[in-house]
Amino acid sequence: MHKLIWGVAIVAGCCALIAGAIFAGLFEKSVVAKGIEQPLSPDRMKALAAKGAYVAVTADCYACHTAKGGAAWAGGLPIATPFGTVYSTNISPDKENGIGNWTRADFHRALRDGVGKGGSHLYPAMPYASYRKMTPDDVDAVYAYLMSREPMRIANRKNALTFPFNIRQSLTFWNLLSLPGEEKAADNAKSAIWIRGQYLVDALGHCGECHTPRNLMQGMQHNKYLKGALLEGIIAPDITKEGLVRMGFDAPLLAGFMKSGISAQGAMAYQMFDVVHFSTQYMTDEDLSALSAYLFDLDAAHDTSVPPPAPKPVELAPALAASAHTTYRNLCSACHGAEGQGIPHVVVPLSTNVSLRLNDARNLVHTVLHGVPAQKFPGLERMEPMPSFKDKLTDQEVADLANWMRAVWGGREPTFKPEGVASIRQGK
Amino acid sequence: MTLATKKLSLTINDRVIDRIDVPYTMMMQDFLYEYLNLTGSRMGCGQGICNACTVIVEKDDGSLEEVQTCTIGAHWFEGKRVRTVEGHGSHDASGAITKLSPLQQAFIEHFSFQCGYCTPGFVTGATVFMDQLKRKPIARAELEQAIIDALDKHICRCTGYVRYHEAVRDLVLKTPGLLNG
Repeated sequence: MHKLIWGVAIVAGCCALIAGAIFAGLFEKSVVAKGIEQPLSPDRMKALAAKGAYVAVTADCYACHTAKGGAAWAGGLPIATPFGTVYSTNISPDKENGIGNWTRADFHRALRDGVGKGGSHLYPAMPYASYRKMTPDDVDAVYAYLMSREPMRIANRKNALTFPFNIRQSLTFWNLLSLPGEEKAADNAKSAIWIRGQYLVDALGHCGECHTPRNLMQGMQHNKYLKGALLEGIIAPDITKEGLVRMGFDAPLLAGFMKSGISAQGAMAYQMFDVVHFSTQYMTDEDLSALSAYLFDLDAAHDTSVPPPAPKPVELAPALAASAHTTYRNLCSACHGAEGQGIPHVVVPLSTNVSLRLNDARNLVHTVLHGVPAQKFPGLERMEPMPSFKDKLTDQEVADLANWMRAVWGGREPTFKPEGVASIRQGK
Repeated sequence: MTLATKKLSLTINDRVIDRIDVPYTMMMQDFLYEYLNLTGSRMGCGQGICNACTVIVEKDDGSLEEVQTCTIGAHWFEGKRVRTVEGHGSHDASGAITKLSPLQQAFIEHFSFQCGYCTPGFVTGATVFMDQLKRKPIARAELEQAIIDALDKHICRCTGYVRYHEAVRDLVLKTPGLLNG
């Protein structure tokens, strides 16, 4: 009996020691090279700042580090997580509230290790699991650019996280389990365009942060990379080649969609609207072609578009088809057209729309129930607001309408149930 | 070419419309103009944004709902009770208007509109607002914001907003039972 007690005590003690060691950060591996301690000269900083402006755009730093209507780079944007709300921080060069006192090395560790000045851990709402793959030169460039911005004397907002997630040091466990391992050497068989695209998607654009499902620990499931995830009630779709083809894209169409935010497949909405607004519209055509080439696993950029064939319509029960078609004519057709063709520059078409082709009808149902505000896109493009129909349609009518549209235009089986509508209606 | 039609029945301004053939794809605005000669509600943007086209749907519980007609099909109104801008005042046996509704009168007294294109929508929206106050009175301190919230979606291009606002406020203050305390 004594032996058993001793055995349990020893195992428990070892576990406590290991946990303590993880908590203390003994297992954390920095990817930041030692040479980064050397500060950059003022001339070098000046020269790098212009390049950094573009790197910061491709990394979409502004969208999170500027609150809606707030001062540029002063943070304060609320980011909802399953454990509470995290507020983005002031990354203007203000010495008191921003990164004015941060050294080059501090900045590199924050971006790539997720550890801020003074050793305090960042929450992974900051996508350091992706930025970890950024080149040191690009990190230097962003540092130089941010240091050239106007300092904003605006205090950071306190996060509202539940215990134990409010203990920053506990992120040592998350980092151990969730950060990617050693980077593989570049694949020489791949073209320069493919490799640039991979860097844009995996590191700078941090696409996987939203488009990859997360595990219980909220780490990215690397075996389902870019296979689509649920984010604040909206599906960030599967953007692997298979998913993109299913949505109706080919490589040139996707590159154009990232530039303009509008295509036959729909208009960027929800969080991707901000991504186009603050980031991808400013990316060079070469970079957007590279991003697209990588996602379609192509070794060269293609200019000629050959969209995948339209899905084959699915036959529906005549009564369901008739009643849903009537709902469509009464409430949808004035704007989206009798044949789902939309109105150029005003309303998206539905006959070629992504949300009708996704595996799940959630995004379509969410939009029918809750609407989408008016949107302004690059150039002269505008989309009128999509009204909310939650007060005009029952759960059954919404389910029938969604099933009918998806069967006719998306080639999807009519599987969505009224219970699913009720759940989305309640914001779940 | 003939358009496929479907029978439509509804009540508009207390007049029963019984099973007439209306194209499946016809919007309510066109139905009001082309079938009933009710040309008071206005086609503005045609995209459901300016709200010059709205009419009232009287619900079973007696409450009122404001509904656009430019983007909503005529057949959506099947079996419903509808009030257009022509139906707000009192009429004699020949159908001529004998008296405007208190709200319409208030808009005239306040010189609320200039070109008048948006007015049918404002009459509709403000009438629904007054009905909501009757069912659920609010405090005086909340009134200004409540008027803004209720009429915000109506677009006027002649800058008539202030006078519309003043007319509604005046009428609410004069009408017993719409405010608490």
